[in-house]
Amino acid sequence: MADAQPQRVQDRLAFLLALVPYLLDNDGVSVGQAAAHFDVPEQRIREAVELIAVSGVPGDSRQYQHGDLFDIDWDRFETDDEIAITHQVAIDDSPRFSAREAAALIAGLQYLSALPENADRATIATLTAKLTRASATAPAAVGVEGEADDRLGLVRDAIAHGRVLRFDYLNGRGEREERSVEPLRVESVDESWYLRGWDRARKALRTFRLDRMADVVIDEGAQPQRPDGIELPERIFQPSKRDLTVVIELAEAALPMLADYLGDRPVLEPAKRRGWVRTRLRIAHLHGLKRLVTQRSGLVQVIEPEEARRTVAEWAAAGAAQYR
Amino acid sequence: MAVPVSNEERLFSLVLALLATETGLTKADVLSSVQGYRQRYRPGGNNASLERQFERDKEDVRDLGVPLESIELPADQGASQFTRYRIPKGAYDLPADVTFTPQEIALLNLAALAWREGSLSGESRRALMKLRSLGIDSDEPLLGYAPRLRARDAAFDPLSGAIERHHVVGFGYLKPGDTQTRKRRLAPLALVQFGGRWHVYGTDQRTGEPRTFLLSRIVGQVEETATAFPAPDGDPAAEALESLRRETARNLAAVTVQPGTDAAARLGRRAEAHDEGRLTLHYTDLQVIADELASFGPEVLVHEPPALVDAVRERLDAVAAAHGDDDG
Repeated sequence: MADAQPQRVQDRLAFLLALVPYLLDNDGVSVGQAAAHFDVPEQRIREAVELIAVSGVPGDSRQYQHGDLFDIDWDRFETDDEIAITHQVAIDDSPRFSAREAAALIAGLQYLSALPENADRATIATLTAKLTRASATAPAAVGVEGEADDRLGLVRDAIAHGRVLRFDYLNGRGEREERSVEPLRVESVDESWYLRGWDRARKALRTFRLDRMADVVIDEGAQPQRPDGIELPERIFQPSKRDLTVVIELAEAALPMLADYLGDRPVLEPAKRRGWVRTRLRIAHLHGLKRLVTQRSGLVQVIEPEEARRTVAEWAAAGAAQYR
Repeated sequence: MAVPVSNEERLFSLVLALLATETGLTKADVLSSVQGYRQRYRPGGNNASLERQFERDKEDVRDLGVPLESIELPADQGASQFTRYRIPKGAYDLPADVTFTPQEIALLNLAALAWREGSLSGESRRALMKLRSLGIDSDEPLLGYAPRLRARDAAFDPLSGAIERHHVVGFGYLKPGDTQTRKRRLAPLALVQFGGRWHVYGTDQRTGEPRTFLLSRIVGQVEETATAFPAPDGDPAAEALESLRRETARNLAAVTVQPGTDAAARLGRRAEAHDEGRLTLHYTDLQVIADELASFGPEVLVHEPPALVDAVRERLDAVAAAHGDDDG
């Protein structure tokens, strides 16, 4: 819901400017209906209406006289919880988008166009043109080119129809096994697609990379068996008690590249090398660590534990040995 | 008078007052007559803090896309007390011919949801609010999809601001393959996501040539300079994507993957497969793909091009050496 984040004063102003034209077009709308339409609590609608009803322009007298203010049918508002504006000043139409608002929607649309069964290119182009025209100034140029995953369509159908999926999965440790999953949501983070669902064998929520799934089929006979009221946490990657902690040193310049792994406020200590820092990293297993470090050659070094160092060294040496 | 006026009410009253005036209001008009200012205005006294409040409010209002104009008559140049402020209604209102179907609204809802975190999440929330203002009901949402665009790169915000204002920026850049940052100056034209990575596209101020930089490799603050450049012609985002596409089509690597491994599963999707685990795949940047291929260790053997073979081997040697027994 839109109210999950604290509202900044600009957001509150934008809400008022958006609400007035809606109320003018929907004379006598109920508070509940307006709240549902804007996806906000009813109380926010009531507070906004109360503010609008006493607002207006200074007017010729510069005294905010009665005729210079909005007015509503107070009886109806207080008795029936319905909103009817009886006098209106200064605004009647919806405001334009700011350049950044339009740019955010345009970029989101381009991202969606990569998904199967979504809008075709022509619809996206029409909408982009409309948003550009509806923007106060030219939107900042933002473009996205996504890549679809051909498994998405099947997974999406399974979610929509409450079916169970069966597939071969190669986990992060390099082990392959058949999984039976009740799919709940497909999410993408940058270029990678993830399936989140109820793992029937483990009786728990699990996240799967789509590019590690093979031979995906809908299990025709299977009925869902997950407990009622399962809720997906907002974040895809959940830290686990079984995570390992590893001490690493890295070039300060590489900090942004590891932001996803270090969390929002990593504790950094100076390292011996100039321009390097020492910190702790939480990882699920050493298989993930060896890939992470080898991908950032010359920028990251594992300090301890010894086993982690050795795993990384062996991985890189085995790779290098192929070229001799 | 005793009840303090909320920030929200002051800003709303400012917008209403400036929309209602044809000829514009001077700063003194606003401070002395508009709700939220007038209560704190001291006629003939010092109103410096109230004036600063007005300056901040103007910025907040403009930031929402409200076209707040300042008009200076030629005769009064430089005398700010004569500057008049107004919001022309025609430039404020959404053009009447811009309408959306319920299906388009459903699509825009989903597009806005893509920015659930990081930069532009506040903007897309507000854009949705304005869309809802039109009172159009949305078609059924598409179930089960939760696409998510992230622009967590700290450079995204300052760069998108500089693009809108056409200002040259300076930043430190860690070129792939280097360990030291170098200072760059760029006239930024577009931000594009390609292959899952954010890039900024613009004109390099040293060479005058178009260049693309990876946001994840910008180190430290992006500094917006006062140097302005003319607004670009055409569609720079499309140009940037096209040039990345061309680059990717040109670059082809040949590798062998070990069957059944992570490398086989993940690279296999993006590559053309040949016999015995041989794959050919396109890449955008040699140093970036070298990083990725190195991460697969013994699961991948690179054959072509020679520069990529060298780059991967050097990375693996360096990691092995840095983690070997004889090293600190």
